[in-house]
Amino acid sequence: MAISEATRGELAELAARYPRPRSAVLPMLHLVQSVEGEVTTDGIHACAEILGITPAEVTAVSTFYTMYKRKPVGTHHIGVCINTMCGLLGGDAVYAALQERLGAGHDQPTADGMFWLERIECQAACTHAPVMTVDWEFMDDVTPASAIDVIDRLERGEVVQSTRGPAIRSFAATERSLAFPDDGLADEGSSVDDKMLAGLRVARERGQAAPAIPSGQEG
Amino acid sequence: MADLPQPVRGFGVTFRTMFKRVVTEQYPEDKDKYPPKPRFHGRHQLNRWPDGLEKCVGCELCAWACPADAIFVEGADNTDEARFSPGERYGRVYQINYLRCIFCGLCIEACPTRALTMTNEFELADASRADLIYEKQDLLAPVLPGMLAPPHPMAPGTTERDYYANRIKGAVPDQAAGSPAGQEGS
Amino acid sequence: MTITSNTGAEVAKAETIAVTVDGVGIEVPKGTLAIRAAELLGIEIPRFCDHPLLDPVAACRACLIEVEGMPKPQPACAQVLSDGMQIRTQQSSPVAREAQEGVMEFLLLNHPLDCPVCDKGGECPLQNQAMQVGRPTSRFEEDKRTFPKPISVSAQILLDRERCVSCARCTRFAEQIAGDPMLELLERGAKQQVGTATDEPFDSYFSGNTVQICPVGALTSAAYRFRSRPFDLVSVPTTCEHCASGCSLRTDSRRGTITRRLAWEDPAVNEDWNCDKGRFAFTYMAQGRITTPMVREDGALRPASWPEAIAIAARGLAQAGSGAGVLAGGRLTMEDAYGYARFARAVLGTDDIDFRARQSSDEEAQFLAARIAGTPATVTYEALERAPIVLLVSLEPEDESPIIFLRLRKASRRRPATVVAISPVRTRGMDKMAATWLPAAPGAEAGVLDEIMSGGSLAETSMAELRDRLQAPGAVILVGERAADVPGLLSAVARLADATGAGLAWVPRRAGERGALDAGALAGLLPGGRPLTDADARDAVARAWGIDAGSLPTAAGRHGTPLLQAASRGEVAALLVGGIEFADFPDPSLARAAVTATAFVVSLEQRHTEVTELADVVLPVAVVAEKAGTFLTWEGRPRPFGQVLREDLAMSDAGVLSMIAAELGQPSPGDVPALRRELGSLGPWSGARATTPGVPAQAITARAGITLASWRLLLDSGAMQEGEPHLAATARPTVARLSEATASHAGLAPAALVTVSGPRGSVTLPWEPAEMVDDVVWLPLRSPGCGVFADLGQVVGGEVAITPGGAA
Repeated sequence: MAISEATRGELAELAARYPRPRSAVLPMLHLVQSVEGEVTTDGIHACAEILGITPAEVTAVSTFYTMYKRKPVGTHHIGVCINTMCGLLGGDAVYAALQERLGAGHDQPTADGMFWLERIECQAACTHAPVMTVDWEFMDDVTPASAIDVIDRLERGEVVQSTRGPAIRSFAATERSLAFPDDGLADEGSSVDDKMLAGLRVARERGQAAPAIPSGQEG
Repeated sequence: MADLPQPVRGFGVTFRTMFKRVVTEQYPEDKDKYPPKPRFHGRHQLNRWPDGLEKCVGCELCAWACPADAIFVEGADNTDEARFSPGERYGRVYQINYLRCIFCGLCIEACPTRALTMTNEFELADASRADLIYEKQDLLAPVLPGMLAPPHPMAPGTTERDYYANRIKGAVPDQAAGSPAGQEGS
Repeated sequence: MTITSNTGAEVAKAETIAVTVDGVGIEVPKGTLAIRAAELLGIEIPRFCDHPLLDPVAACRACLIEVEGMPKPQPACAQVLSDGMQIRTQQSSPVAREAQEGVMEFLLLNHPLDCPVCDKGGECPLQNQAMQVGRPTSRFEEDKRTFPKPISVSAQILLDRERCVSCARCTRFAEQIAGDPMLELLERGAKQQVGTATDEPFDSYFSGNTVQICPVGALTSAAYRFRSRPFDLVSVPTTCEHCASGCSLRTDSRRGTITRRLAWEDPAVNEDWNCDKGRFAFTYMAQGRITTPMVREDGALRPASWPEAIAIAARGLAQAGSGAGVLAGGRLTMEDAYGYARFARAVLGTDDIDFRARQSSDEEAQFLAARIAGTPATVTYEALERAPIVLLVSLEPEDESPIIFLRLRKASRRRPATVVAISPVRTRGMDKMAATWLPAAPGAEAGVLDEIMSGGSLAETSMAELRDRLQAPGAVILVGERAADVPGLLSAVARLADATGAGLAWVPRRAGERGALDAGALAGLLPGGRPLTDADARDAVARAWGIDAGSLPTAAGRHGTPLLQAASRGEVAALLVGGIEFADFPDPSLARAAVTATAFVVSLEQRHTEVTELADVVLPVAVVAEKAGTFLTWEGRPRPFGQVLREDLAMSDAGVLSMIAAELGQPSPGDVPALRRELGSLGPWSGARATTPGVPAQAITARAGITLASWRLLLDSGAMQEGEPHLAATARPTVARLSEATASHAGLAPAALVTVSGPRGSVTLPWEPAEMVDDVVWLPLRSPGCGVFADLGQVVGGEVAITPGGAA
């Protein structure tokens, strides 16, 4: 799929945001994913051309980061954290359930191409473990049943609300937000809740604080 | 005996020997009666895998090890059209100069694929210098039953690792089909 | 592996610090890396990623050492020393030793045990260092990671990914040295691998260097793969015969066949690098060789014995005598060129001689005689590296002198905007040198130079500022041989150099041109830059040659086009031709006519060519690997080299000429040492030189058509690149370049073909838009499918027409 002139214009706009244009390669690749559904060769060449670097340099970046995919992701990206905290609190079970429900393995699309399943690393949301992400929006405190319910509702085209963010749109829409973060959705949902602040509250009640840094070891 | 004159004493030796066991071996008439020891260093042999592909990969380590500079090897690429050994490389030229070889066996120790071993054959006399430079066809092991003369593809579905792990037991019909030319080796 | 210290000159002026390595004190320049300081003491720290000419990256971790006061071992290749620092290498520190052993074990985890079939086996830093600092056993029992092997990163360069230790030498070379970051580290973690982008192979002119610096056998060349093992090879230091850059090479041969060529380290010239043409283009030497002398009998050439052929050649040339002409070609060694120069004057008594088998002019001959011939090397590679400004005139270094390109790129990485290039096209090479582009249509370059002198302005560049910069000490003007295309340009270059005091160097393309010039293989010039018309010069030369000065010609002879024209009219009684191709001349048909019309032609040639087909006597001569000799670099630096194929009995040009001379009873030296001695005894010329030409800059008249710009690409249809398909496949595609405005004016559709027509014919080829002067079309001069001189019959700066050439 060739990159359209409109997308090229947006890619150039991203490149113009940085003092050194090549700094823009990450958001530009997200934009490519939002229009192409994956990082395509055409997309790589378009980025390289606009940035004045070689396609090899763009390829190096796009293959390094796991958020850039080299196969069409489909409508929704489903991530399940399987790191220690989430894994122990049920993440492994959630992943197994989703794997069975979707019939896809790690970093693979479903047969109908609608979902993409991926075991993901820590999302810094351990207070709500186990977490699952849909198009990189949080679904906190999931169980195998609630995770499958999310999939069912997405399949039926129902509105699914992230537990801590906006309503789920699509992988393409999220990728666009990653390219152009000022999408006005930043304040959707509550990013901080009581559970997250529990530890802080307890510490304050008990007058606890981190020990002072021993002298001579700063920096 | 001690007081006999020296010449006569000499004949005493002859006389005694007439009654001793004969140690002379009749060569070449009786050579089969006296085979060389199993570890005798004789003429070299370039071995084959059980399906007939050559074991030699043309690495020249034998030539490197040779203290007499008697071995000359040139490697070349196996292609899908003409495969002589598993893997990428085979020995296109292989020569041992038996006028130089001292049969020390260092080449055998150097060989990483056990392609080169020594037979017990010791009858290596010849009438010309040129004839004593043995070429690859003179050194290659015979194509035994169950083998197929290269070039031919590797056994279907195998890689060179299967050969090195001794998982190949003999040629299969598919290899024969791809034998003369064409037909991709896997 | 290369071990060098930092360059001497930099060391001398830097301030020093005192450090301790393994308890031994040493003073080193500030900024020295720990690994270099250890080298100075003869302590070899293992390393893979470290390379003295690449930026430190500390990727392989093989060089871990203990640094006093630091909690963990540090990589010696990236550890900048500070005053009083105490470091301990594996020699004295158990910590360093264990760290190095651990890294080596780690690097070997996934490294395959395929040394027997690996081209690097036997000269492999990984093998060697695993033996030096590795543990005898590994604790790794799992399966090694494997990849399908090998993959091509270009038609020439193959990659076995499982052998890679991710040292990033190749990728850093591509990015930092060559400026072609088309090779990158892809993926991450255990999957990390070197690779290219899809559809964009690593077609760099310098790609072969990555094979040489790869510390394992991950990168190999298609040309050498499985050809030989290092211990089979006989290595001889040689000089590259492909261009006037004069790279030191190492030529490896096995049983009379050249197997490969490598760059030989020479800090003064090519550092550790060379270009792919120099590295891979040597197969021509074995192709289409003439094996026996041939003489023409009843209109056809027949093989002849050496004595017979020499006798016939001698008879014919003696008959012609001073009526003969000599076309020596630009690929000769200095000794051979001297042989021709001497033979023409001393034996034939003619001064009709030229080595320039290309576009040339009287102005150029005069410029060379006045400013270049026999002058010592003052503008050198090092001068380029230090120059505050380098002005390039009619020179595209990446294509025409790749090592100049590398040096200027190296300089520009430290000081951008050092290079200023006058050219009709802004090229990728200029961007890699961070060059300022001064646009000039072909033919208008002299005007631009005069503009600089007068301090005018052109486009946005201030000419006055440029002139001021050129007046700074160390400023350099490099003028390419293509300047001969433009009347008045060489005069303007000399004027500008005189006015600003900038250093001036002339950069010919072929390896033999500068040597031929200094050897006197040009009409009007005797060896050492001596003017033929100067009686003192003639006396000195006659003394050295042991002949009577009165027998030397006194009037400067004909050269270049006038000589060819005279020959084509049958006015030259005999031609002695060595190593020329008709297609190299601006008018190939004139060159052919000159050879055809001349009654008696003797051709000294390596291989069967169009010239040998027309010659009356063909005498086979040695290729560069079969003889010793000297090339002069563009600087004027002598680069002597030895014979590679020592069993070979082929004779050099000078040897054959010596035989002909002997047949005529005029003995002359024929072997290299004697020729060098005689040439050396002449020494440089200190007398009056020819006057610098004063041809005024040509006024550019508006023309309706399109002006032709062109130069030869590094990899093209050159005869010395034959027989190496992998190299040819990495050449740049044959495309025409036009500005967008010119293209749209001509009605060219994007990605379509363009037809460029000249007086003799036309070529149709793809075009691509380029930043360049309007109403100019750039074509590769002699690439597959596009021979400007032969196909178009137009010279550079001439007028051509462009029309749409249909769909691509």
